[in-house]
Amino acid sequence: MPRRILALLLLALVVLPVQARTTTARIERVEASGVLLRDVVVRLRWPPGAASGELQVAAARIDAADFGYHFERVRWQCPLARTAQGHWRCEGPLRAGDHAPMRLALDLSSATTDAELARGAARITLQRTSAAPDATRLELSRVPLAWAQALVAQAWAAGRLTGGTLQGPVLIETPAARPLRVDARLVLSALALESQDGSIAVGDLGARLRVDYRQPTGAAALVAIDGTLDGGELLYGNTYVALAGAPVQVRLDLMQRAGGGWDVPRLSWDDGDALSLDGSAALAGDGALHRLDVAARSRRLDALPARYLSGWLGLAGLADLGLSGAAEAAVRTGAGGLATVEARFEGVSLRDPRERFRIEGLEGDLRYAREGSVDSELRWRRGQLYGLRFDAIRLPLRSDAGTLRLREPATLAMLGGQVSLEGFTLRPAQGDAGLRAGFGLGIDSLDLGALSKALGWPEFGGTLSGRIPSARYADERLDFDGGLSIQAFDGRIDVDALSMERPFGVAPTLSADLALHDLDLLRITEVFDFGSITGRLHGRIDGLRLVDWTATAFDAELHTERRRGTRQRISQRAVQDISSVGDASFVTSLQGRLIGLFDDFGYQSIGIACRLENEVCRMSGLHSAGNGFTIVEGAGVPKLQVVGFNRDVDWPTLLERLAAVAKGDVSPVVD
Amino acid sequence: MRRLIGMPILIALALCACVTINVYFPAAEAREAARQFVEKVIGDEAQPSQPAPATTPNGGGMVQRELRFDPLALIGIGSAYAQEQPDITIRTPAIQAIQARMEQRFNGTLRPHFDSGALGFGQDGLVVVRDASALAIKDRVAVNAAVADDNRDRKAVYREIAVANGHPEWENQIRDVFARQWVASARAGWWYQQGGDWKQK
Repeated sequence: MPRRILALLLLALVVLPVQARTTTARIERVEASGVLLRDVVVRLRWPPGAASGELQVAAARIDAADFGYHFERVRWQCPLARTAQGHWRCEGPLRAGDHAPMRLALDLSSATTDAELARGAARITLQRTSAAPDATRLELSRVPLAWAQALVAQAWAAGRLTGGTLQGPVLIETPAARPLRVDARLVLSALALESQDGSIAVGDLGARLRVDYRQPTGAAALVAIDGTLDGGELLYGNTYVALAGAPVQVRLDLMQRAGGGWDVPRLSWDDGDALSLDGSAALAGDGALHRLDVAARSRRLDALPARYLSGWLGLAGLADLGLSGAAEAAVRTGAGGLATVEARFEGVSLRDPRERFRIEGLEGDLRYAREGSVDSELRWRRGQLYGLRFDAIRLPLRSDAGTLRLREPATLAMLGGQVSLEGFTLRPAQGDAGLRAGFGLGIDSLDLGALSKALGWPEFGGTLSGRIPSARYADERLDFDGGLSIQAFDGRIDVDALSMERPFGVAPTLSADLALHDLDLLRITEVFDFGSITGRLHGRIDGLRLVDWTATAFDAELHTERRRGTRQRISQRAVQDISSVGDASFVTSLQGRLIGLFDDFGYQSIGIACRLENEVCRMSGLHSAGNGFTIVEGAGVPKLQVVGFNRDVDWPTLLERLAAVAKGDVSPVVD
Repeated sequence: MRRLIGMPILIALALCACVTINVYFPAAEAREAARQFVEKVIGDEAQPSQPAPATTPNGGGMVQRELRFDPLALIGIGSAYAQEQPDITIRTPAIQAIQARMEQRFNGTLRPHFDSGALGFGQDGLVVVRDASALAIKDRVAVNAAVADDNRDRKAVYREIAVANGHPEWENQIRDVFARQWVASARAGWWYQQGGDWKQK
């Protein structure tokens, strides 16, 4: 078209009388190759006898609607001359609106049209031949990606290109009866783009891509992208992908949907052993994932956290999770969330960097389906939970109508005894409902010595048994029905009303009610190195609440009960320990210093209570004694009575004193 | 606090079982405790004690609640006890540990993003990523994780403060009090959510 206008102008110059040196053509509308120019004015001024004329072309508006480009007040001015080869050539500044000027060079011959558009180092050259009038060949060189913003906005309205350059050939075909087609082999450097809300972003991405774009008239666009990504980072919602180090092969077929959004009939991602994906997906107009059907495989799970999972692990508070082994998974999601998962694990190990848990040698399948019923089985070789080691387990699972259950009870060797897991059910988070799990626990003869050692307590013998017919996990809270029974110190401790909050989260808490039955006081005092007291201890610790494994509240009452054949004696050292811990003072029938003369004393009963609240332990004893309360009521001669006077005791101080007693570095003041 | 004169508590307890009484949620103490907590996390730069912003529904924030039976209140210990040890306190080691961690995280990671407007205080007492595009992509991931960590800590604090006071059902009020306090203690230029909209202080 420009050639024809130019030819007309030149003809006019030749035909018109010599003194008329300027010709002007006004054209309301010029349409070519999907580009529409309006109110075009072409003016050619050719001084008589001069070697070149001056060409001015202006258009009020240029629209390339298919590509999303619109320009206003476009002006181009250049010296027009005929070259030795008989081409018309013109090169000069091109201005559009208030944009920075570019340089446009045009070279016309009867067979070819060559154009070059440049600004700084960026350059686009265009070639057309009269032999193939529907094909336009572009060559891009260091073209800022921002120039493609309008094109991107066509496909993804919320997308913003913020950096990067393009290089490579682009072939545009605009045959009259067939779809518009763009075939590009592009090298992208330092690509940066971003969605309006910042939830999707690409930074510093390098890529070599072949892009095939077809736009049938009045129908949806088709895009095929095939190539290699090299370096850079991608963010999609909470998924963060860091690509540095190894190139990734990608293949993406996209089909624009009528109502906005894209179907992705083919999606392939090959990142070597770290991760390969194959599948299909559907994206909404804002880039959100509507549907995903993908098979993923990783032969090196250890590469996943840094390259792919850091976003999710950070959110879950599991940053730096140690992963190894291999796994593959087929995942299908639909409108209602997760539809099916089929996963297979080979030699997988998980290790929490904060040592809350560890699982080694995870093998087998895990299948989940929101509808219908599928079976699978998982096994692991050993593991550890908060310092407690456990052995191999086999978990035969069944997914039934969206709930994962254990097909038969599973047993696990732990701490010299056995733990059996019964009736386990798990319902993944769906819609607004969070993850819910339930299970029953049978605990048989766990060794308390090993348990106390693992938890860093003073070591004491005994066994832990019990049955928890049902435990439920929901909303970060684990509740246990039933109770545990601890056989220790020749007696029994019953644990009821057990519950945990945030079991793997911030400041995990454990609540329970404890009932103590007929414990041998001598063994207790030996374990805790608290002098020696003979007798039988009974009592309750209600409303015990441990936060981060530290007691923050309880209501405890402990007392001795006389039993046939058991002597009730308290050693001098124990008396002194009690006095130093309980801040007690002696009220005896003898002088305090006389106490040192006796190794031990008989007693009638011992009782102490503490209600811990807000770091204050409110103490009481057997009964009130004047301003204080009696802790030890002596018997025989000398009759010993230990009376406490401070009722509100600072709990941290009390713990310090207890720890000092256990270390044996107290010297109580005896009045 | 110490040396409270001994009393025949057991007898008193026996006398007064099965009585339900109404007490009032100690809003003033909660606000004060929240202020101390928040100022410690955000830092001690300026910001004199100031009342919660106009978002307070009824000014005082007093909420009448029916609480579980507290026999100490009946036998006269309650008031003295309450004066010496306000019902809302944040003294347990676990909460102090969380507070220290939050302070560290706030200064180490979150503060510059409050300054830049990327983060804001939500009206539920949590931190919200307001404008992710203000962050570099890599930072976005780290900040998302820090925000998730901080919000986990916040939820635990609100819950544990309620439980430590023997009133787990106060969790929501405590969360509200804190939500207002984060806003009240926010520096000028930081963003906060009010009625679903973002406002800049």
